[in-house]
Amino acid sequence: MSSRRSRQSSATVSRISDDQIIELVSKLRQLLPEIRNRRSDKVSASKVLQETCNYIRSLHREVDDLSERLSQLLATIDADSAEAAIIRSLIM
Amino acid sequence: MCPHSSLKQEFLKKWIMGLQRCSFSKKNMSILERKKTIKLSADIAMASARNGTTRWSRALISNASKDGSDNRLVQQILGPESNTPVAAITNKARTRRALVCKKIVKRSRRQIRRRRRKCVAAAPVKAVTSSIAKHLVRKRTQVLKTLIPGGEFMDEICLIEETLDYITSLRVQVDVMRSVASASVRASEP
Repeated sequence: MSSRRSRQSSATVSRISDDQIIELVSKLRQLLPEIRNRRSDKVSASKVLQETCNYIRSLHREVDDLSERLSQLLATIDADSAEAAIIRSLIM
Repeated sequence: MCPHSSLKQEFLKKWIMGLQRCSFSKKNMSILERKKTIKLSADIAMASARNGTTRWSRALISNASKDGSDNRLVQQILGPESNTPVAAITNKARTRRALVCKKIVKRSRRQIRRRRRKCVAAAPVKAVTSSIAKHLVRKRTQVLKTLIPGGEFMDEICLIEETLDYITSLRVQVDVMRSVASASVRASEP
C-alpha cells in the first residue's frame, strides 16, 4: 500500500542521486578533523557517519562546558561593563 | 575563517541581544540558571542566525518553544521580530501525522521481514558483508537523526545537508563562546 509506494519512491530517489550522496559524504569528510588528516580515499560511509556523530557529540559537550565556564566568569564581574568590553574586543 | 566572520558577528550580536533581553545583568541568578540562560540564548541565536532557511534551525526553535518552562525565555530572547508561533504549529501538526505514518510503515516492514526470514537460505558471503555494511549505515544514520534537531523527519540526503550546516554553525558557536570566555578572563584581570 502506501508503505510499498514510499519504499519504491525512496529507492528510486537514492538510485538517481547516488552522485549527490557521494558528494555530500565527501563534503562531510572534509569537515571532520580526524578523517581529513588521513590520506585514504576509501573511507566507508559508516565510518564517516560514526565520526560525524562523535564530532557532533564532542561539540555539544564543548558548548556545555563553555556555557558553564561563562556562567562562572560572568557572575563575578559586572555584566554591563563586561559585555561592552567583550563586544569591543571582538568586533574590531 | 573569512566566510564565517559574518556568521560569527551575526551570532554574537543575536546572542548578546538575547542575554540582555533576559535581563542577564540581574545579579540574583543561581549559577545553574545562568548557565541554562547562556546555553539557551546561544542555541537560539545560532538557530535564528539562519533565518529559518534550514530545517534544523526551525526545529531547534520550535522544540525550545514547546517546553513550557523555557517558552517564556525563548520568546524574550527572540523579541518582537520573531515569527515562531507559526513555525511551532506547523511542526507540531507534521509531527503527529509523521508519527502515525511511521508506525504504519514500521509495522508493515516488520511483517515483511518476518515473511522474508522464513524463506531465506544461506546467503553468499559478498551479500552478507554488503548487508552488514548497509545495516551499519542504517544504524548510524538513526543515531545521527537523534543528534540533529528535527532529524527524525528528514530523508537521507536532507539529513546529510542539514548535518553539514549544523556542524558549521556549531563550530561558529564554539569559536565565539571560546573567544568571549578568554576575553572576559582578560577583562577580569586588573
